[in-house]
Amino acid sequence: MVKSAEETVAVDSVETSDHDLMLAVRAGEIARLGDLFERYHRPLYGFFVRLTGQRTASEDLVQLVFYRILKYRHTYRDEGKFSAWIYHLARKVAADHFRKNAHAPAILAEPDELHEVPDHAPHAAEQAAKADDLALMQRALGALPLEQRELLTLHRFHNLHHEELARLFDCSVGAVKVRMHRALGALREHYFKLRQERVA
Amino acid sequence: MNCQRVQDTFLDYQAGTLAAAESAAVREHLKTCLICQREWAGLQETLLQLDRLPPEEPSARLRTNFYAMLDTHLRQAREPSPFALMRNRLDRFFENLVPTRPALQFAFSAVLLVAGVIVGARYLQPAAPIAPPATDLATQSRLDEMQKKFDSMSQLVAYSLAQQQPANTRLQQIAATLARGDADAKTLAGLVSTLAFDPNTNVRLSALEALYAHADRPLVRQGVLASLPRESSPLVQLAMIDFLTSVRDRDAAPAFEALTRDAAIDAAVRDAAQRALVQL
Repeated sequence: MVKSAEETVAVDSVETSDHDLMLAVRAGEIARLGDLFERYHRPLYGFFVRLTGQRTASEDLVQLVFYRILKYRHTYRDEGKFSAWIYHLARKVAADHFRKNAHAPAILAEPDELHEVPDHAPHAAEQAAKADDLALMQRALGALPLEQRELLTLHRFHNLHHEELARLFDCSVGAVKVRMHRALGALREHYFKLRQERVA
Repeated sequence: MNCQRVQDTFLDYQAGTLAAAESAAVREHLKTCLICQREWAGLQETLLQLDRLPPEEPSARLRTNFYAMLDTHLRQAREPSPFALMRNRLDRFFENLVPTRPALQFAFSAVLLVAGVIVGARYLQPAAPIAPPATDLATQSRLDEMQKKFDSMSQLVAYSLAQQQPANTRLQQIAATLARGDADAKTLAGLVSTLAFDPNTNVRLSALEALYAHADRPLVRQGVLASLPRESSPLVQLAMIDFLTSVRDRDAAPAFEALTRDAAIDAAVRDAAQRALVQL
């Protein structure tokens, strides 16, 4: 039953909203979960990789999110927004993962696994410098507390607005902006510190 | 706008969500403030590097695993549960076993009932009464001992309850016993108890007087003899010695001898006991 990329495109072209798909799953049309998987498994995978720094574990965590969607499909609310709900489940899955493994900044544990930089740089030296900068940024992101990592990842890579983040983190929009400001400040501090260490 | 305020709006300024007037104020401030320029440049570079982190692509394993899980769920949803299958089979079994027409169902029930009664009457025996557990000799003797203690305690309690009455009432009861002339063993035992235990000297003397009429009975003589050693009043002691001497009770001799030897006893009582010994 594995779907090809062409089938995925076909599914995406059908203008059924995430919410309607999830309502169908809730009503017992379990096969429609495949459509939601095609739409969300990449963003979810990216979210988990940014948080954990582990590819294999992140694939397992994505699988776990969809398993929980099936298990708790009856709890999905009509008025809810599906993307908010799925990221809510993803955050819980991530929290369980870190509780079990008890080492939140796991990104630094396997830095080599991530980010093969695309071969766009014309010169080898320039390419190496870019790769270094991205590796430093990944390390700086990994050094942040879990909540700041979640916030920056969801905002910058998953385009969640301040209002959606406020609902997800159960706080006001103002509080989200303050936390985001602090998270960016911390990231900048880590990143420039790592760059200085490299130069030294 | 001061520096702190400007730096607080950097995120909205960068996202383009700041109001036009505020945005212009930030732009103006940045033209002249070197500190904020440096902050702004640092933030821009950080965001640039962050956004340049390449997207991560999962392996084919994720898709394979997901659809395998989905297939499992779909199969489970299509297949009825083992419990439902078992229930269907049981229902079918009983449908085949039991007749469907009401008349036949009635006849079947009646046959079952009669068969049950016959089988029950033939094979079920009435339950045998449960035999009391056998007790060994040691247990039996301990039980007897406890029974005796209980009886004597009951007697003492009964007497203690009688003691609650005033002395003149007790005297009247003894006088009534005296007037009746005849007395059963229970009444005599009550008089002997009064002689032995009553705290009032007059009551004890009256009891002894009442017992004179039944001095021929061994129970009375033994009771008076048993009460003598515990008696403290010389008056009652003298009356008891007279009683026992008058009935010529030879069993009283050891008690009289004990009295004569006891220096704590009143001299008159000791003399009376001495005389009584001679008379016996």
